[in-house]
Amino acid sequence: MEQLVNEIKVKLIDALNLDGMTPEDIDDNAPLFGDEGLGLDSIDVLELIVLLERNYGIRLANPQEGKKVFQSVAVMADYVNANRTK
Amino acid sequence: MLTIRSFASIPGGTDLTALYRARVGDYPKFFKMDTACKLGFLLAEQLADAPRFEPREDRAVLMFSTCGSLCNDRHYEESVRDFPSPSLFVYTLPNIITGEIAIRNKYAGETSAYVLERFTPETFVALVEQAFQDGDTGSALCGWVDCRADDDFTAFAFLVERGGTGMEFNVENVYGTVSQ
Amino acid sequence: MKKVVCIGESILSPLGATPAENFAAVCRGESALRRYEGMFGVKEPFVASLMDRERWTAPGRTFFDSIVIEAARRAVEAAGIDPASPRTAFVLSTIKGNVEYIETQDVTLACSARRLAEAFGNPNPAVVVSNACISGLAALLQGRRILLGGGFDHVVVVGAEVQSRFIVTGFQSLKALSEAPCKPFDARRDGLNLGEAAAAVVLGFGDEGWELADGAVRNDANHISGPSRTGEGSYKALRHVLRNCSPDALAFVNVHGTSTLYNDEMESIAIDRAGLLDVPVNALKGVFGHTMGAAGVLESILSMHAVDAGVVLPTRGFSEPGVSRPVKVSATMGKTTKQAFVKLLSGFGGVNGALLFRKGGAGC
Repeated sequence: MEQLVNEIKVKLIDALNLDGMTPEDIDDNAPLFGDEGLGLDSIDVLELIVLLERNYGIRLANPQEGKKVFQSVAVMADYVNANRTK
Repeated sequence: MLTIRSFASIPGGTDLTALYRARVGDYPKFFKMDTACKLGFLLAEQLADAPRFEPREDRAVLMFSTCGSLCNDRHYEESVRDFPSPSLFVYTLPNIITGEIAIRNKYAGETSAYVLERFTPETFVALVEQAFQDGDTGSALCGWVDCRADDDFTAFAFLVERGGTGMEFNVENVYGTVSQ
Repeated sequence: MKKVVCIGESILSPLGATPAENFAAVCRGESALRRYEGMFGVKEPFVASLMDRERWTAPGRTFFDSIVIEAARRAVEAAGIDPASPRTAFVLSTIKGNVEYIETQDVTLACSARRLAEAFGNPNPAVVVSNACISGLAALLQGRRILLGGGFDHVVVVGAEVQSRFIVTGFQSLKALSEAPCKPFDARRDGLNLGEAAAAVVLGFGDEGWELADGAVRNDANHISGPSRTGEGSYKALRHVLRNCSPDALAFVNVHGTSTLYNDEMESIAIDRAGLLDVPVNALKGVFGHTMGAAGVLESILSMHAVDAGVVLPTRGFSEPGVSRPVKVSATMGKTTKQAFVKLLSGFGGVNGALLFRKGGAGC
């Protein structure tokens, strides 16, 4: 699981162009959206949906659903673990 | 009469990330932008006047080019073959550069993007002057940002204002400033 | 000050090849929105309003360039002006032009504008206004400014957009498309449909007919793809064009009404803030889809025809109010005796625009 968490962090930094950040800079449980944490926005949600599909074969049709999945890297990792098709 | 308050340019081939780190450094959204927007953003950072980040409706942002968003369009088209990228798609509009400058600086006036066959001071000056027909527009950040490829671009901009004490914003002075 | 008026118009769309044909089709409640599967090589099905490419593509030209030039030709003919005169300017409004050929051709928008000017032997530099979804509106405003700036007698403003894998996949990636015909301002709206069209207006000086009285473009300065939650730019643009005009004089506000959750909500807030809750509001996206660079020109022409006919066009797709402010959405065809209207649009990049059109005697 720790390996998956780290892998997601690396992919997230790349997909969202979070320049200068390393996986160590991202707290597993910190919120990804809103004013705290990474402060990601609506376009980032859409890019994370692409990330899930491309890397793990998970299709999220509704961006609202994404908001639940993308609460934190830890939540994302649990979701990927339970739903991945590749 | 319109006058030139200031002028900025970014030489072709400049390392934009290095320029950002040297001059700005605290706006991570910069890294999400396409090259044209990075150029527009950095030009605006050089031209922005105090007080900064206070909302104003009297400042227009007018951007001109030949290539529009074409450089980023190619990146998006590549992504379509794999998974279409929403964050690349939002930059496939020639006017996003004006939006990025408006957001950063809280410029709530007119924003417009124009595509021309080539830069000519005559057309550039005429279109900027026409924008000042809007009586609420007191000044304009107007520039030529032509991004042919990520490492091949022409980028310069003027801060132009009504009245003012700088040299007149006319064809001769624009030509002289740009060709320096 | 001399008045800038509309002296010739044209519309090419799936619903007709003249403004009159298109207006009649809208009045009959028609729409060309239909579901496409596998179109443009796009995997996911989508609903759109597409033109007949074979019919409209001229030999040796792309579909896009063909409809741009044909729309201009028809408007120039209607206006009876000399398109080759150095005192005639051309302004093209489009967002993506020939982008479908990005891998094989020079698809810079300026190339299309040059071919447009060349087709009419016009010597002036080609100008493209590419201001996201408000491009058509901004191009009309630019036409007005060119005339008032001096040196020209006529400006031909052409707005056009064709659809492609590039655009459709982009809007799909933004989850912005509805899987059904769109429902502007409706409680069940869930996204937009894309559309193809070309429309042109010839502007000149005069005292008769429709005056393009004023226009404004304002930025939300908020987000590049999400509209302001407070309708900031849209409200400011409305406020500017209505500064000398009583809302009582308006037959209607023809809104953007893309049928996305955020756009329509934002517009309702801007309309409320501008004091226009008693003015009928209508949207045409349920008829033509979102025709992007054509929308401002197409929707302005149809709005002029509506006022000429004494009607407020219905908002196809709307049935149940679904925005937070009690805007007066015109669900069915209404009547009006008023002689002015406002055209409103908003787009990516935080850009918003409003145009004020009026006819002789309008109280604004």
